[in-house]
Amino acid sequence: MIILQNSGIPIYQQIADSIREDILSGKLKQGEYLPSIRSLAKDLKISVITTMKAYEILQEEGLATGVQGKGFYVNAQDTEMLREQHLRKVEESLGEAIRASKIAKLSSEEVQEMLRILLTQYEEEA
Amino acid sequence: MEMSAGVERKSMNEKMEAALEVKNLSKRFKDFELNVDELEIPKGFATALIGENGAGKTTLLNCLSGIRLDYHGEIKYFGKYVNDEREEPKNQVRENIGCAGPSGYFLSHWTVGQVADLGELLFEHYHKDQFWKLCENLGVIKEGKKETKVSELSDGNRMKLILASVFARDTRLLLLDEPASSLDPLMRERLCRMIQEYLEKGQGESTVLFSTHNVADMEDVTDYCVIIEQGRVVEKGFVEDLKEKYVLVKGEAEELEAARPALFTASEGKYGFEGICLAEDLDKLAGLKVSKETPSLFQISVAVLKKYTVIK
Repeated sequence: MIILQNSGIPIYQQIADSIREDILSGKLKQGEYLPSIRSLAKDLKISVITTMKAYEILQEEGLATGVQGKGFYVNAQDTEMLREQHLRKVEESLGEAIRASKIAKLSSEEVQEMLRILLTQYEEEA
Repeated sequence: MEMSAGVERKSMNEKMEAALEVKNLSKRFKDFELNVDELEIPKGFATALIGENGAGKTTLLNCLSGIRLDYHGEIKYFGKYVNDEREEPKNQVRENIGCAGPSGYFLSHWTVGQVADLGELLFEHYHKDQFWKLCENLGVIKEGKKETKVSELSDGNRMKLILASVFARDTRLLLLDEPASSLDPLMRERLCRMIQEYLEKGQGESTVLFSTHNVADMEDVTDYCVIIEQGRVVEKGFVEDLKEKYVLVKGEAEELEAARPALFTASEGKYGFEGICLAEDLDKLAGLKVSKETPSLFQISVAVLKKYTVIK
């Protein structure tokens, strides 16, 4: 996990993002325990409370559950919810691309054409 | 947000307990009075005690550690033991507390070897091998010279010696008075790692309370902070909560007067102003061109101290 001190993104957010990605991609599996709050804090050289806040975010999102005295484990991932999460990510990324295209003054036809080309390229590679 | 919201955070999974609970603590001197109505030091975390010179940090730490007993009020240790019970041998309160401070704990004519022996005499859970390992790692003495006298050590090395004898024991609470001030940058970073390892090893049962002027150096190990001024607690809370309570704002110089009523503190420069605004007052800045950022603990501490200091 790489944590940037001055990226403008709060550190707890960076940790939550990184672990969320590992859970959604299946790298962290259902039932698996996340590193203990204090050992992760030590490894990342950040405070315990910052790490705890990251884990709380994951718990609020339903991705992990905290057990008193035992730590946090990864929840079973609801396939419906997973798809929802991925859909949201697609929307976010496309939104960002659209904003950039406005700055570059691209017409919507040009943007659609670009997306078509990229999709074809991706499918050919896959 | 309530000042004490931190300890009662509802979303917190780990139950918040206090390693130390202080009620109506007061100590009067000729020209100074320490008055702490209520204070809890959360168990399992590192707490920083911040304040100006003479604000009462050392007095508070000395009351907590039992170095000073001539105070009024109640201090509860580990959720159980109040004042007199602390001295009962079976309760092992002293055994479980490690203290370090800049004032001399060891007589100056003692040798480092005698300091090592002393730990064994005073404490049940003391690991001499660990003491020597720490002395070596921290570079307290050269080439294992056990006959080096305490008086021959520099301030920094004397603090390292105290830290080595504290970390060589099994404890549940560390009370460290200005542990970083005499240490060089490398050693400060080492101290931070030692505190983190201590908290990790304790698995939520070990607590550290330290006073510091080097807020920025200690920021990455600070979970909870207590700011005192003129012998009173003026702010306390978990750092992440304080970072939501206070907002760092910057704006153009000509807008400072319009912004000032909404600001907690402000300082003016040639090209603009910088200030701290309470999050709840942010909407009062609507219409002004200001940038908003999350402040560091250092920036929060400076703002709070500036607000309450008598030195203007």
